[in-house]
Amino acid sequence: MTLQVRDVAVVYGERPSAGTRAVDGVSFDVPTGEVVALLGPSGCGKSSLLRAVAGLEPLAAGAVLWDGADLAGVPVHRRAFGLMFQDGQLFAHRDVAGNVAYGLRGVPRAARAGRVAELLDLVGLAGYGSRPVATLSGGERQRVALARALAPEPRVLLLDEPLSALDRALRERLAVDLRSVLVATGTPAVFVTHDQDEAFAVADRVGVMHAGRLLRLAPPDELWRAPGDRDVAAFLGYEAFVDVAAPSAAPLLAALGARAPRPQDAPGAVVALAEGAFVVTRDAAREDIGGAAGLKGVVRGVTSRRGRSEVRVDVDGVGAVTALAPVGARWEPGDVVPLTIDADAVTVLP
Amino acid sequence: MTSLTAPGPGRTAPAVAVRPARRRLPVGRVLGWGLAVAVPVAFLAVFFAWPVVVMVGKGFVTDGRLDLSGFADVFSRPRTWRIVGQTLGQATAATVLSVALGVPGAYTLYRRRFRGRAAVRALVTVPFVLPTVVVGVAFRSLLVDGGPLGFLHLDGTFAAILAALVFFNYAVVVRAVGGLWERLDPRATQAARGLGASPWRAFRTVELPALAPAIWSAASLVFLFCATAFGTVLILGGTRFGTIETEIWIQTTQFLDLRAAAVLSVVQLVVVVGVLTIAGRARARRERALSLAATGTAVRPLTLRRRPADDGHPLALAAAGVTAVVLLAIAVPLVNLVVRSLRVDGGWGLDHYRALGAPAPGVPVSVWQAAATSVETAVDATVIALVVGGLVALVVSRRPRRRAARRAVAGFDALFMLPLGVSAVTVGFGFLVTMDRPLGLAVDLRTSPLLVPIAQAVVAVPLVVRTVLPVLRAIDPRLREAAGTLGAAPGRVLRTLDVPLAARSVGLAIGFAFAASLGEFGATSFLARPDRPTLPVMVFRLIGRPGPDNYGMALAASVVLAALTAAIVALAERLRAGQVGGDW
Repeated sequence: MTLQVRDVAVVYGERPSAGTRAVDGVSFDVPTGEVVALLGPSGCGKSSLLRAVAGLEPLAAGAVLWDGADLAGVPVHRRAFGLMFQDGQLFAHRDVAGNVAYGLRGVPRAARAGRVAELLDLVGLAGYGSRPVATLSGGERQRVALARALAPEPRVLLLDEPLSALDRALRERLAVDLRSVLVATGTPAVFVTHDQDEAFAVADRVGVMHAGRLLRLAPPDELWRAPGDRDVAAFLGYEAFVDVAAPSAAPLLAALGARAPRPQDAPGAVVALAEGAFVVTRDAAREDIGGAAGLKGVVRGVTSRRGRSEVRVDVDGVGAVTALAPVGARWEPGDVVPLTIDADAVTVLP
Repeated sequence: MTSLTAPGPGRTAPAVAVRPARRRLPVGRVLGWGLAVAVPVAFLAVFFAWPVVVMVGKGFVTDGRLDLSGFADVFSRPRTWRIVGQTLGQATAATVLSVALGVPGAYTLYRRRFRGRAAVRALVTVPFVLPTVVVGVAFRSLLVDGGPLGFLHLDGTFAAILAALVFFNYAVVVRAVGGLWERLDPRATQAARGLGASPWRAFRTVELPALAPAIWSAASLVFLFCATAFGTVLILGGTRFGTIETEIWIQTTQFLDLRAAAVLSVVQLVVVVGVLTIAGRARARRERALSLAATGTAVRPLTLRRRPADDGHPLALAAAGVTAVVLLAIAVPLVNLVVRSLRVDGGWGLDHYRALGAPAPGVPVSVWQAAATSVETAVDATVIALVVGGLVALVVSRRPRRRAARRAVAGFDALFMLPLGVSAVTVGFGFLVTMDRPLGLAVDLRTSPLLVPIAQAVVAVPLVVRTVLPVLRAIDPRLREAAGTLGAAPGRVLRTLDVPLAARSVGLAIGFAFAASLGEFGATSFLARPDRPTLPVMVFRLIGRPGPDNYGMALAASVVLAALTAAIVALAERLRAGQVGGDW
């Protein structure tokens, strides 16, 4: 059983020819049991795409299919696609159990109560059934929304930034919970987010969207190792790009070793550096280990993230990059520091 | 596109049966919405547009030909210009005064907390729901020679009419502006204060602009109510003052000059449409923007002594002072009405109330019977108004995707506001002219007991729409979408979301519709059969008769009518959950 999205376009405005193309020729498949995340900055069309799949926005072109059957003309409520919004959209006039049971119409009363209890248990809210939704915290609301969306056993679950309204710690914990719930129920899901960590934590495959187009769709590690093009790499956090033929690329290619193409074989290719591609070292001997003897940067500023120092350095021929530094290191702007290269944060784009 | 999973042609059959793709018209939905539009439109066409058009037509069609000479004739009379000038002058002055007094009132009653606030809010609402006839009688009994304020010699003056109009409409401003003010996010003002603005400047530059749409909306409504005022002005204005509406009544019933009445109806319509357009724009602005906080987060206690954390205390005190004076001014006519109804030949007694049980002079029924008729009529009118108004609110609350459809919905909305301002006298007289053979059918609706309720429902429908609509519009569209993805068909979404959520405002809508119907006088004065008068008609007849006993009975009947209306509205307010509930 597969959700198939084929060349879908969504256009806002009166006439399809003159309107804004929010989604433009997007295709992908979601087979059973897989979670696909669509990652992109706000306004890239990912939410519009999700709404189009749910049947809430008309398609300007293309098709949404379920196992080869075109869903055009099938209204929202007959698609059996669950949808979860950023702010939950719980029904304020019903209690928690009333919300979860909303999609369980036609199920006998006893079975319905059992299913509600089962789902509340699954999302970690056992015993919350009679609580009014107004008394719930943000995280609890989203858990109820998830239980409500899963209750009718949707063929696909569509999640529109379900964790974005929560604070960071809660978001990270819920992302893990969400993944385990989706895996436990075997529900295929499309998960829309602008948070890369969230996408990588929840999804089997991650798609990067930009300006209405799906640029790349791949498993997280593959996506990170081979972003494919510069837009995707930039969105994933690659911050500096160096032409392979440039002299400053040589130490980077050397650090990549066997993964590196020879400059003459890949004309036009660029080396992409993520944050932490350079590491500040105080051990002069280690400079040779990376084969980057004499590699240096000029400190522009130092910040601290979760105890580790991040040093903004200017590297000749590369530009300003963020280098990692050992705990407790102190530098002033203008200091020249020795650098080594972490090959895991470097990749080559064709 | 990268990394596609090939669409597998030989996969297993789906466990859940996929309904085949189809692009047929959803017959049920089209039929349902069609009915929701058709029923109110038919109602409005038959019971409003048709009588009005026939009435206006009588003024402009002579011997089967269109004859617009009536305009030139009527406008060449100085009397017409005086009436038009008085209408606009009274309405403008009353609107300005209502807003000037109402804004401080809104602040005191909705942004400040004090003991007895609920009771004060209820008192403020009383005049608005009072029948216009009662307001007229209450002011008259206060200002006549021999009345408590008789020494001011204000009876039959512009000032008296103005005072009565402000008395009546103060609540409109307080409720509309206060309802918004209460929920206005206080942090914008706090930010302005942090940037160095004085309390007065912060109010003037931040809060007032945020409130402006509500103020505009309320002002347009007040203007509308004042420009079409009938019962109050008819009783207080005497021969020197009038509105277009009272003039239509005089031209129709006294001079039998239907042509002049028709011209004046058109003039009134032009004024009304102009005001409704402004009101609509202000309302549209209001429903769009504004960041609102939860009700009550911005409300602070009202204290006479300055407290350290109380920002802008002198302003608050000034507002409270103004409000206290207005409250006193509202209470005086009401108290006086009750007191005077108990005066009997220089002493005190319940004689006037006892007299209500016997058939009134010149009328075959007693006041109590008239009261029963009023209630029966109001129940029927409320049911009709609720069904029609509910359907209108439902249709207007939708935001279709196509622009043409959105325009149609907006037009539909405006259409059902028209009865608020079109001369009720014209409607009433139009009923008499057209309902002998409605739609060519051989039933004489003029003798039907439903005639009066239908006419009153026409007036009450806009009130129902304006009460229910904001609540329906406030429902996040994504809530309906969430229900849809959970498998709820549009009908079930309507039943399980829109109806329960709107139900909270229905109580209030019932109250207002009931009050409007109980107090309706313009159309009812034409339509009520002589042997079945409603309470306002009875009061008006009693005032018109000489003798202190008749006058005392009129006062007593007014008190009964006022108490009845106030009780109904108080009951309806109780049904209102939270603070949701429309424009007033």
